[in-house]
Amino acid sequence: MNDTVQLGHEPAEHYDRVTGAWRLLLGEELHYGVFESGDEPLQVATAALTGQMVAAAELRPGLDVLDVGCGTGAPACALASAHGVHVVGITTSQVGVDAARLRAAGLAGRASFELRDGTDNGFADATFDRVWVLESSHLMPDRVALLCECARVLRPGGRLVLCDITRQREIPFQEVLRRRLEFATLRDAFGEARMEPLGYYAELAQRSGLDVQELRDLTQRTLPTFDRWRANAAEHDAEVRVALGADGLDAFVRSCDILEGFWRDGTLGYGLISAVKRDVV
Amino acid sequence: MAHTSGHVEGTIRKFLRRAKKSEDGVSAQTRLYAGGIGLTSLDTAELAAVLEDELGTDPFSHGFMPETIGEIVDFYDKLGPEAEPASP
Repeated sequence: MNDTVQLGHEPAEHYDRVTGAWRLLLGEELHYGVFESGDEPLQVATAALTGQMVAAAELRPGLDVLDVGCGTGAPACALASAHGVHVVGITTSQVGVDAARLRAAGLAGRASFELRDGTDNGFADATFDRVWVLESSHLMPDRVALLCECARVLRPGGRLVLCDITRQREIPFQEVLRRRLEFATLRDAFGEARMEPLGYYAELAQRSGLDVQELRDLTQRTLPTFDRWRANAAEHDAEVRVALGADGLDAFVRSCDILEGFWRDGTLGYGLISAVKRDVV
Repeated sequence: MAHTSGHVEGTIRKFLRRAKKSEDGVSAQTRLYAGGIGLTSLDTAELAAVLEDELGTDPFSHGFMPETIGEIVDFYDKLGPEAEPASP
């Protein structure tokens, strides 16, 4: 959840401490894991998710990559280091940009970071070969604008890869009313979010001039993530309690239970989409 | 007697402050969702809960989905005295 740790313009020291606590809870990569057997450690599973994104993106040295919702820049720096691509990371958090720039200091300009909004990014048309959106889209209310902007800045033949939490079914308002405390707990722990079905992303991608290559439902394979997050909360209880407060830690643990329930009852899930920009005829 | 419109509007404004939504320019014609206050479905559920707590009932639980603040006020205007919550 790259951007769930955004804290606006709070002091960097506080931001670092809170981000550190989230790393203890979610793992170094700060996102969900994809489990093969279900028994592997979280860090193996989070690396597997990143690996699926990398494979779907078909990265190769020299490509220009836009990372939308780059958080504190860890994935962007890792992509630049491991795959020889040039990455521009964007986030709406100045503190995130500052932290990411520090992180990228040794990368000789292969990763740079800017304060920009993924739904109105301001780059020229056809600037990038790849657009990478890892668990940030659910925090951007205007999903239409996000997909339009991703498509606009891709070069013809360029590729969008996006993974995120998805909504697996309609949630009637009366159910939201009845379960509002559960939804409010998730909001308190992870921020204001809006989930959409994977098919909706595909529809928007098509409408934006992209040809969808793959829709991958990862719901079952991400399910063990919650078990690992709860274990992390128990293992790092004291440190996280200091950084997030007792209420914050409690909300996180309850969120794990709620999300796991939503995963199991078919309300929420996880998916990955890749799509290629059509050539101009 | 039914709730006064001032009481209903005051309850809505209290909710907006608590939910950190702007009250600027809010009037009876203000839309609750996109293009207006911008309430999400969760915001709306929480507004329903506040209205029920403060006023004894809420339009959303009755299957009525108001589009504007004025329609919420109208809902209470149309209620009879039986909707008045008991005195503490």
